[in-house]
Amino acid sequence: MARIRNKKRKTFVKPVKVKKHANVDHITGDKVPKSFVFSRGKLPSPLKQLQMDLRKLMLPYTALKLKEKKRNNLKDFLNVAGPMGVTHFLIISKTDTAPFLRVARTPQGPTLTFKIHEYSLAVDVAQSQLRPRSPQDLFKNPPLIVLSGFGSAEQHLKLTTIMFQNIFPSIDVNTVKLSSCQRIVLLNYNKDTKLVDFRHYSIRLQPVGVSRRIRKFVQNHQVPDLRSLQDVSDYVTKAGYGSESEADDEAATVTLTSDLNRVNKASTKSAVKLQEIGPRMTLQLVKIEEGLCSGSVIFNEYGTVVDKNQEGRKQDNTEDSSEDDGDQEEDGDEEEK
Amino acid sequence: MAEESHIPQTVISSRKRKVGHRKGNKVMKKRKPFLGMAERVKKIDPKLKKFLRKKARDYNSDVEEDEEEGSLNDKEGFTNVDGDDYGDMEDGSDELENDSEGSETEEEDGEIQPGITKFSEGCRAFRMAFKSIMKKSVSNDSLGPVLSGHKKLLAEKLAEEAAERKVHGEAKKEKQLLGEKGHLKPANYLDSHEKFLISVATKGVVKLFNAVNKAQNAQKGLNPSRSKDAKVIKKRRKEAFFSELGKTPGAISSAKVNSFSTPAEAEGPSWAPLRDNYMLTSSKFKDWDKMPDTAVADDIGRMSEDSSSDDD
Repeated sequence: MARIRNKKRKTFVKPVKVKKHANVDHITGDKVPKSFVFSRGKLPSPLKQLQMDLRKLMLPYTALKLKEKKRNNLKDFLNVAGPMGVTHFLIISKTDTAPFLRVARTPQGPTLTFKIHEYSLAVDVAQSQLRPRSPQDLFKNPPLIVLSGFGSAEQHLKLTTIMFQNIFPSIDVNTVKLSSCQRIVLLNYNKDTKLVDFRHYSIRLQPVGVSRRIRKFVQNHQVPDLRSLQDVSDYVTKAGYGSESEADDEAATVTLTSDLNRVNKASTKSAVKLQEIGPRMTLQLVKIEEGLCSGSVIFNEYGTVVDKNQEGRKQDNTEDSSEDDGDQEEDGDEEEK
Repeated sequence: MAEESHIPQTVISSRKRKVGHRKGNKVMKKRKPFLGMAERVKKIDPKLKKFLRKKARDYNSDVEEDEEEGSLNDKEGFTNVDGDDYGDMEDGSDELENDSEGSETEEEDGEIQPGITKFSEGCRAFRMAFKSIMKKSVSNDSLGPVLSGHKKLLAEKLAEEAAERKVHGEAKKEKQLLGEKGHLKPANYLDSHEKFLISVATKGVVKLFNAVNKAQNAQKGLNPSRSKDAKVIKKRRKEAFFSELGKTPGAISSAKVNSFSTPAEAEGPSWAPLRDNYMLTSSKFKDWDKMPDTAVADDIGRMSEDSSSDDD
């Protein structure tokens, strides 16, 4: 009897996983950034889905099936993060006013708090499209990141830029394989509204200068319908209806150095086509803290930046009254620590 | 069995019914053919008869009340279900009454009918009652056929329940709405903003691909795993690097394309030491003024390190 019990208890011990990816990239020698995406507090189902979408977006260097419990506090995640080499936390929380996304660097911070004004899930995006695209190896490689409109004048925008640049592994131009560049994350800062548009696209390359029919024929592996044609040559010479649209985006063509896949061979011209895969978010930078969800406030959207010598705790208390409940939860985290 | 069922009825009826006595005659006449059989039974000893009767009464003493209640309920149910069938019901109950009266009269005569006869009579009455129930068309009421007197109460209860459910549903809906806050379903078409975003992203991708193209063109046809080729590649990269250095800082394409940016922010040179804020951002040189000598040496070392790492 006792033996069985012992066995049972053993199952509670979390087995240390053998990591597939080393902490250090074997080519560039840089430390590979890894991330945890988790939530604080109870989330409604659409936000849970958003969390899952974000995890997929952060693949492959993230915990896709991270299990969190109600009693897990930030310290628990931090404890696990050390040995696992996790460098970034993406924390989703929900208040009465709006959902919030916090992007933090572990273990020391800083923490950026974003208010999520609007969001669409990957499912919604796929539903809105006629032909949603999901190749098998889409999530096998980390995405590229494009930051636009951030400028370098303001301190908090600079910090945001650095944060997001480092959240994905860097790319060495000399060794990178273009076939591994499948996805792109775009963050576009709008100066007027102070909102950040967060988008996630898949990259597709199409050979240029070939008629649509030929292209489809090569891509699809399917026998075309020749019933209405007199001769096989008609199939090639007859202009397709969709081929005109290619002409307009001349800027979006690239020349390839190596073979990308069966269709896009080396030294051919290809057009870059982006298709959204979601999730989609409209973020507003609300606050930057020095520590991990704690510490003095570097930047605050609502209140004026108070004297930096002041205690962080004091600031938090004053801001809570003017701001929203999102920070109270953070206070709770601080107390737990 | 039949006898038993017969006797209680007589007992009840003797208590309940004293009116409508005359109607019984008809039944009496009907019974006559059976009398022959009854005569045979008639020879029972009066003592025994008395005993039997007493026994039957005892036996039914507790059942009596139930039966009375049951019959009462039944009648209420019948009247409640539908007004139209009232007449039918009357007929059925009339017949029942007739039977009971008949038996009553028999009893008064001091005759005990064997159960068989009674059974057939009772069976008919039951049949009639059952028939009348089956004939009835069920009203299209939402409650359906309710054989209870508390139809009104039931309806009230149901209405209350519905109202409760409604309130509950509204609360749930509200909660769900709160949860959905900020959730936006994208439109089927691409609006101008989305198109702009896609174009920005496309520009970025094209820039990266061109940079990769430029960098990898130099090492085309060479296999980096072979040591001979690796040397050549290294040399070429070095050349490319120094040629890049000679250019104006703005024209240098960043080595780390990951951190590349659109023209809006591509102001500073990509090589870190050339930036204005190099000393400020790098954590290594935070305390540079504290140990001036070592810091300078460190800086030089770092610079050479950087150049070599960019070389690779």
